Amino acid sequence: MSEYILEVENLQKWFPIRRNISQVIKRERNYVKAVDGVSFKIKRGEIFGLIGESGCGKTTTGKLIMKLLEPTGGKMIFDAQDVTYLDTDAVELYKRKVQMVFQDPYASMNPRFRISDVLSEPLLIHKIGDSREDREARAIKALEEVKINPPEEFMERYPHMLSGGQRQRIATARTLILSPSFIVADEPVSMVDLSTRAEILHMMKEVQQSLGLTYLYITHDLSTARYFTDRIAVMYLGKIVEMGPAGELIDNAKHPYTQALIAAVCEPVSGNVNRIKEVPIKGEIPSAANIPHGCRFHTRCLYAKPECWEMEEPMLEEVSGVGHLAACRRWKEISGEKGKVSETA
Amino acid sequence: MKLNNIKRSMLSFWNEFRQTRFGIFGLITFCLFVVIILFETAIIPFPEASTRWRDISYWEDNPKGAAPVWVNWFTSTKHTPQKVITDVELKREEDSGFEFIDVVIPYDYQYDIAPNDIIFHAMTRGEVTLMISLLRPDGDEILLTEKSVNSTTLRDLRIPISTNSLDNVYNYVKQHESFENIKAKPKNVMNSMQVLFAKAEEGMLQNPASLQGEYQLKITAVILGEGEFLEPNLVISGNVFGLLGTDSFKRDIWSGVIAGTKWAMLIGLMTSSLAVIIGVIFGVSSAYFGGLVDMLMMRFYEIAASIPMLPVLIVLSAIFKPSIWTIILIMCVFSWVGPVRTVRSIGLQIKAETYVEAARALNASHSRIIFRHMIPQLIPYAFASMALSVPGAIVTESTISLLGLGDPTIVTWGQILRDAVSGGAVLQGLWWWVVPPGLFIAGMGMTFAFIGFAMDTILNPKLKTR
Repeated sequence: MSEYILEVENLQKWFPIRRNISQVIKRERNYVKAVDGVSFKIKRGEIFGLIGESGCGKTTTGKLIMKLLEPTGGKMIFDAQDVTYLDTDAVELYKRKVQMVFQDPYASMNPRFRISDVLSEPLLIHKIGDSREDREARAIKALEEVKINPPEEFMERYPHMLSGGQRQRIATARTLILSPSFIVADEPVSMVDLSTRAEILHMMKEVQQSLGLTYLYITHDLSTARYFTDRIAVMYLGKIVEMGPAGELIDNAKHPYTQALIAAVCEPVSGNVNRIKEVPIKGEIPSAANIPHGCRFHTRCLYAKPECWEMEEPMLEEVSGVGHLAACRRWKEISGEKGKVSETA
Repeated sequence: MKLNNIKRSMLSFWNEFRQTRFGIFGLITFCLFVVIILFETAIIPFPEASTRWRDISYWEDNPKGAAPVWVNWFTSTKHTPQKVITDVELKREEDSGFEFIDVVIPYDYQYDIAPNDIIFHAMTRGEVTLMISLLRPDGDEILLTEKSVNSTTLRDLRIPISTNSLDNVYNYVKQHESFENIKAKPKNVMNSMQVLFAKAEEGMLQNPASLQGEYQLKITAVILGEGEFLEPNLVISGNVFGLLGTDSFKRDIWSGVIAGTKWAMLIGLMTSSLAVIIGVIFGVSSAYFGGLVDMLMMRFYEIAASIPMLPVLIVLSAIFKPSIWTIILIMCVFSWVGPVRTVRSIGLQIKAETYVEAARALNASHSRIIFRHMIPQLIPYAFASMALSVPGAIVTESTISLLGLGDPTIVTWGQILRDAVSGGAVLQGLWWWVVPPGLFIAGMGMTFAFIGFAMDTILNPKLKTR
């Protein structure tokens, strides 16, 4: 068994744009490059965070791994098996091992299903459990795992009778019921009350440790990512721009985009509350249909020099010893320049 | 627990339904129709109307094209209503090997227009000779007819007196009427009933004045040798008949209309529910699969929606023997397109829901997603559109029947209307042949339209006026 449970190599998902008649004649094809060559490796038993602002392709990456979308190019290796393209039977086996927790716990459960229906659905689909009683027993066990107490009382309820936190626990229970080895968690706490976020993340971590799961944690929230994950990859416009161990990456960000993200985190600490932050970034995220030439961040980067857009796109390169990679040509200069910029600003 | 939930949601639906006034009205009329169907045999005088609608012998004792009985309330000249006299006394006498049976049937005649006919019925076996005479209130006794029958088995003897008594009645008229009048109206154009129930005076042939009072029909039957004479009864075939009169084929309209209720209900509910089920599954599948499948399905839908039904129906019924089931089937083939567009657009919304994606992430099959996740969300809409398409189905069946392509083994409102049109009901002024089936079609359509509107307002949140 290899050290890595999931290896993603140069994964691409391009959505074709509807063409007009002249484009059809000229044989022009345009794409929204939602995921444009993403590569990472996730270790067994690790929590891997995928961070980026909305529209950067992080959810698409999650869906590609979940096989809800077919990739345009690249390679995915799961458990030493190529899973990029699978036939129906293989997909069934794969979807038993890989599960997904969705962002919106209010929408991810059919409002007409009782909790017992929600939880026995995966069992029915994968033909696990011989009888209704057996399936219900498994459902109750899964509810216990996610700290729903008392589980019997929740079985007959409908999703609308539950709080957001309870729903997200049940959504987690639904993924656990098939005893998967890999879970894609797509912003699992972004729609949960702040007060219960930590609780849910704590529960997820406990489950991960007791069952030996691996998580791909997709989020836009750096603070929970640092708390929750082991390693973080930062995505910008369909590509990973920086990747490294969670603490190292946040404390010692090299890529200007990561620095901007960190600077943008709110600090509800007295003295900092009323200060409008100077976020070291400019402009809006460009369209994924029209990715800038060269470094794709140069249009928003405060440190961009002509070399950034004239030369080819920078590759991820080692920036410090602990597996910290960044895709910035000028990271060394920026580290030195940073002080200067903030002085002039 | 699940049952409880259904009960609760039904209760809340009912609470809202109660507040829509037209919904309640629709429900009441619906219940009325159900009661009519359940007690059909009890409320119609001809219980076999449904199966023997085209059997002439079943209707032969009825008058032709008679108006409803209640027409008498609005006219000064009273018509004789249909009357069947069954409880008659028999007096039997044995004499030297012959059996004499005397029957006297009294009939109280208090009307202005004489009956159409008097029909005498009895069950006879062996050689039987009958003598029928009429004793009028003025004391005259007229021998109407003499008849001999001989049959080896017990069978029904039917003697319509008007045609059998012409000679004798004409002779009676000659005693009273003037020569000119008799000459002006020969025997074969005389209405013997009018004469029998008219005052014996000059002009009784031309302008009969009705003689009211107690009439007695006397029947003497002689059985030669071994034989039987049982259950004699008399049908006074009136010129007003029943609740809704009769048509030109002597059929009781009331029986026909009531017997047609269950067929209308069956046609309406079967067609609409089948069509809506097909339409909903088609629309949802189109929305769910999307892309090329969606495009092909929608093009197919557009073709199906644009084929005119009637010409195809006419051709089809020329090929197949028209039966109610093939008609329902063919109507389904044409009416499933109704809900497709709406269902598809709702389906597109449901498809984008996260729980559908979650089901796909669990590797749920297409059919599971369509039938477990998507269609249940559409059930309210399906019910409302089902109720709303019932009237259309009933009217369509009537149209098909009106063209003469209906099922000949049953009776439907449309078929009654068709017979009325081909029988010239409107030209002859037989309004009771046209209006009741038309009203029933409208009533049934209204019932389901009201229920459908009420359901639509409740179940379709966008229409809620709160």
